[in-house]
Amino acid sequence: MRRRFACAALALAASLPGVHAQDPEKLTTGPGAALTAQKCQICHELAHVTRSRLSRGEWVDNLQRMRERGAPLTDAEVDTIVAYLAAYYGRDPAPAPAPDTLASASDDPIAKLLAANACTSCHDVAKKLVGPAFREVAQKYSGDAGAAGRLAEKMRAGGSGVWGAVPMPPNAGLSADDSKRLAEWVLTQK
Amino acid sequence: MDETRRSLLGGLAGAGALALVGDARRALAQDKPEAAPPGTIPNEAVKKEKVAAMQYHSERPLTGSVPAHEHDFDVTPSDRMFVRNNLLTPDVNAAQHRLTVKGLVDKELVFTLDQLRTAFPVVTLQGMLECAGSGRSNYKPSASGTPWNPTGGMGCPKWTGARLADLLRAAGMKTGAAHIAGQGVDPGMVATAPAVIRSIPLAKALDENTLIAWDMNGAPLPKVHGYPLRLVVPGWVGSASTKWLSSLTVLDSPFKGTYMTASYVRPKWPIEPGHKMPPETVSTEAWPVKSMITSPAPNKHFKGTDHIVVRGRAWVGEGSIDRVEISTDEGLTWQQATLAPAGDRFAWRTFTFEYQPQRFGYHTFLARAWDDRGNGQPAESTWNPLGYFWNGVHRIGVLVEA
Repeated sequence: MRRRFACAALALAASLPGVHAQDPEKLTTGPGAALTAQKCQICHELAHVTRSRLSRGEWVDNLQRMRERGAPLTDAEVDTIVAYLAAYYGRDPAPAPAPDTLASASDDPIAKLLAANACTSCHDVAKKLVGPAFREVAQKYSGDAGAAGRLAEKMRAGGSGVWGAVPMPPNAGLSADDSKRLAEWVLTQK
Repeated sequence: MDETRRSLLGGLAGAGALALVGDARRALAQDKPEAAPPGTIPNEAVKKEKVAAMQYHSERPLTGSVPAHEHDFDVTPSDRMFVRNNLLTPDVNAAQHRLTVKGLVDKELVFTLDQLRTAFPVVTLQGMLECAGSGRSNYKPSASGTPWNPTGGMGCPKWTGARLADLLRAAGMKTGAAHIAGQGVDPGMVATAPAVIRSIPLAKALDENTLIAWDMNGAPLPKVHGYPLRLVVPGWVGSASTKWLSSLTVLDSPFKGTYMTASYVRPKWPIEPGHKMPPETVSTEAWPVKSMITSPAPNKHFKGTDHIVVRGRAWVGEGSIDRVEISTDEGLTWQQATLAPAGDRFAWRTFTFEYQPQRFGYHTFLARAWDDRGNGQPAESTWNPLGYFWNGVHRIGVLVEA
């Protein structure tokens, strides 16, 4: 019954101009989408977001609750995420998908990848933030020939238990080539 | 495996080489994402203990329920009890588990499970538990939180345990004791996650139906339902019934933490739908009067000569069920259903209504319960930002064919 309703809803959505049936685990692209996906996925599947339509005030309350429950978020990150969610998952019609300008500020290919996937919201080269410093990772796997492949795989699939209790969210949208490139770069940060 | 690797392994078939392969595998396994962090139960293991009809609303955290027509039981079987975690499902070693009673007490007490089983009178009672957000998807506009189905985020099993009141009296409460906070051992996804701590007022803690339970339906609590020990605060929002209970703290006021102040609260005065929580809020405690039709299933087909028995369950978190009414004309007129004799104080009550269709086509049934204080179920519940306490009238339709 419920499934039939969902199918009908999808068919309806697909038939409306400008509305597309979307993967519940993918956020609409827009300024702040990458950061939002990274932070939410530490603890939740993205369907929690993609099925919601809340006003700005309700998103403010939601982010405040998540922070109280241990979400690693700075004030600036909360502002970015609320602005994104209020626009794309608000109670008013959403704007058209747009490039995540907050995640593509540089011309350097590695910097671009780091920004596009919001890696730096949890990792820094030299110091531990939410996750380990890239330097720590590089030192740990120094001389380990298979490390690049494993790290690349982990970047895409996510993981936990190696560096501490905060799990790394998956980055399913990261291509195999890009994750390999990033992993190789991380391992040079000794 | 390609030719090169096979010959390499073949050529190095000594113990050392095998060990190397093993180490590499372990290192790989360690770096792979874990389905469930150490010390926790994977969702798949929880689902194996549930009926196929259970619908899951989220995976992280795990939530699930069966709809009304899968609830057609006087006592809810364990495999149909709703699942609602705030954090992960811990894998608790019962032999090492302890329950501490502390705070404003004369004497701090620590119990093993065996001590609890023998120190106090053992009570078995049937009692309702229902998630505060049960029925949330009925709210228009949609409210924030787990999209619980229109029906089903509840259950009424039998619980066995000791009375919370007996433990509190054994510890002796100091002057000023006002609230009892329960805390469990469920871990969060992040190390910074605070424990889920909820407190209940002393009067409810001392109610003879409030239990420290170790059995559900005559068997040890399933892991997802709090094994080996949980609070059961029947009639109240489910979050009051702390699972995997490890400590009870006697406080002089309600516990101040995110699960008390930012969740499980409603606006003190109704607000315009679709807006944020106002500064003045009240805690969700006892469920208002509610009912649902558990048989027939929606859209069931009957033959024209069939007699239709409408059956359902009604409950309320305070007071008692006075009557249940059925409407077969979309709420214009109501007729009284037959109530089964009252059972335990916070158990739901079965009602039945006999109906002989006088025409073919679609027929609808609406159920509306009333409590002994004059409260009835509304057509729609008052909107609130977190979508709690939906108790609107339940409606189903069936088809009568020639």
